[in-house]
Amino acid sequence: MGNTFTWKKIVFLIFLIFLALYPVLHGSDYIMHIFNIFFFWAVVASNWDLIAGYAGTLSLGNVAFFAIGGYISGMLAKFFGWSPWLCILIGGVGSACIVVLLVGLPSLRLSGIYIALWSMMFAMVLPTFISQTKDITGGVRGLSEIPPLFAGITPMISYYINYCFFLVVLIIVYKTIQSSNGLAFMALRDSRDFATALGINEYKEKLKVFSLTSFLTGLSGGFYAHHIGDISPALLGITPFLMGLAMVMVGGLGRFPGAIIGAFTITCAGEYFRLAGTWRLSIIGALMCIIILFFPGGLMELVDLLDKRIVGLRQRAAVDPPQVSK
Amino acid sequence: MKAFINAIVTGIVSGSLYAAMALGLTIVYGVVRIFNFAHGLMALMGGYFAWVILTKTGLGLIPAIVTSSIIMYFFGLALYGATIKPLLRKPDWEMSTIVFTLGAGILIENSLLQVFGPRYKVIPKFFQGSIKLGYVRLQWHDIILLFLIIIFFIAFIIFLKKTWFGQAMRAVAQDMDGARIVGINLHKTFSHTFALAMAVTGFSGILLATKLYISPPIGWDWMTKGFVIIVLGGWGSVQGALYAALILGVIEALTMLYIGTMWVFPIWTVMFLVVLLIRPQGLLGGRAA
Repeated sequence: MGNTFTWKKIVFLIFLIFLALYPVLHGSDYIMHIFNIFFFWAVVASNWDLIAGYAGTLSLGNVAFFAIGGYISGMLAKFFGWSPWLCILIGGVGSACIVVLLVGLPSLRLSGIYIALWSMMFAMVLPTFISQTKDITGGVRGLSEIPPLFAGITPMISYYINYCFFLVVLIIVYKTIQSSNGLAFMALRDSRDFATALGINEYKEKLKVFSLTSFLTGLSGGFYAHHIGDISPALLGITPFLMGLAMVMVGGLGRFPGAIIGAFTITCAGEYFRLAGTWRLSIIGALMCIIILFFPGGLMELVDLLDKRIVGLRQRAAVDPPQVSK
Repeated sequence: MKAFINAIVTGIVSGSLYAAMALGLTIVYGVVRIFNFAHGLMALMGGYFAWVILTKTGLGLIPAIVTSSIIMYFFGLALYGATIKPLLRKPDWEMSTIVFTLGAGILIENSLLQVFGPRYKVIPKFFQGSIKLGYVRLQWHDIILLFLIIIFFIAFIIFLKKTWFGQAMRAVAQDMDGARIVGINLHKTFSHTFALAMAVTGFSGILLATKLYISPPIGWDWMTKGFVIIVLGGWGSVQGALYAALILGVIEALTMLYIGTMWVFPIWTVMFLVVLLIRPQGLLGGRAA
């Protein structure tokens, strides 16, 4: 990635501007709803990509981080009547604390597979606790009637709030990847021995990426809960988990805007696949297998291929004429 | 006291079933070094094959088990050749295989759901009736299961120690390069180990189906239990898996007796956490993952 404006950046900016202008230009409630869902999922997926693609630790519990943030924020706002903004912040911090204490500290000092297994089991055990604490969390039916961000909110304002949140997270993730911490993650992923020999503390770096990821994902859960108005243990089921993982994989693991493109693709395709009815999950599962087998770079690999073609053409245009004249 | 002893016996029976189930997982990790996240669903596939054979062809239970295991063997061979083998060549094969097997598991689960529906399927028991020994009431079916699994484990360990292929498997598990130097074909060993593990897994799935029931989502449950067992037993260790499964089976039965069925999964999770904190290399200290 250079500092100049390449066509990739221009296309991505046009995409962001399109998202910003959409409610003014067209403003169909249904499509705005899909875009809202896309904003929440893009945050989850880009953080998942940060932890799995850049830091090289496969965590399988990111949807649980999302649900924890949503639950904490929703419960505080509903039962104590606190300002939802504060609740979302507390939800994010709470999610980070719970995840780092319960998931990070026991498993991060061990190698990758323990993190994958333990975060998955952590996500699988949460529904039991939710269903056993019916008075606080609403049990199996979920927590409903969560107050919106402020009284009298219109869908358009809500859309812009979610959009701004999405943009902020996008910038944070991008800056993290560019920072020295991001370099440390990548060094650890690419060559662990070499990185530790250079003095990178693996445990510390992984704790950092875990806390950042769970904080941002928890915030996203809070925005989700207040936007939708209810949250239920169905969020911890296999479908959202699969959707999230598929987003990261379709976009391309460890290629920055990839997870966001994947989130967009899967959110839209998921709506379209509703037509396939009960086969939907099979299709997404098969898609994931095929991508891993044949296109491990996901959609970003396609973009890179296109990029080579375009840059190649331009270079040839710049280099060829003198050769021809000779 | 009576309830306690009965719970211990139930725990031993279910523990031995879990041991058979975790065996496939531990040998796949021990030899091929991949984590099979589709493991539980593969066990379920074995159960469903046996169920189809039993209900559609009218063969007995033993032929159904044998046929189903053979089908699973060839399924494993095909799956390895078509998918795992190319994945192992990639630089980030560890994460790729995890994600691939997860995707495959979801695909299998939902395909089973489409074909067989969500209703529970039960495979008939070997033998009805029970006997009473003092405090304990034992079902004949449980006794037969225990014997089958004991014989199966003894046969498997003999197979590992005495036959050429078993020794090749152990050699590859201990040192890949060393095994290659003495002329063991690595990919052939991998593919047959994977296929053998699938056959064993299918077999254990049928036994589990005779004791419990089968329904597509339960595969994930079995898989998590299998992972907890092999983490406690030590990655890649066969005996370790056996001991760990027995311990965890008894704990599970005691949980059901004293705390309630609701808390079975949380207790497994807590056990996993305890193992992570105290002894992550497992009871018998297999290869650290």
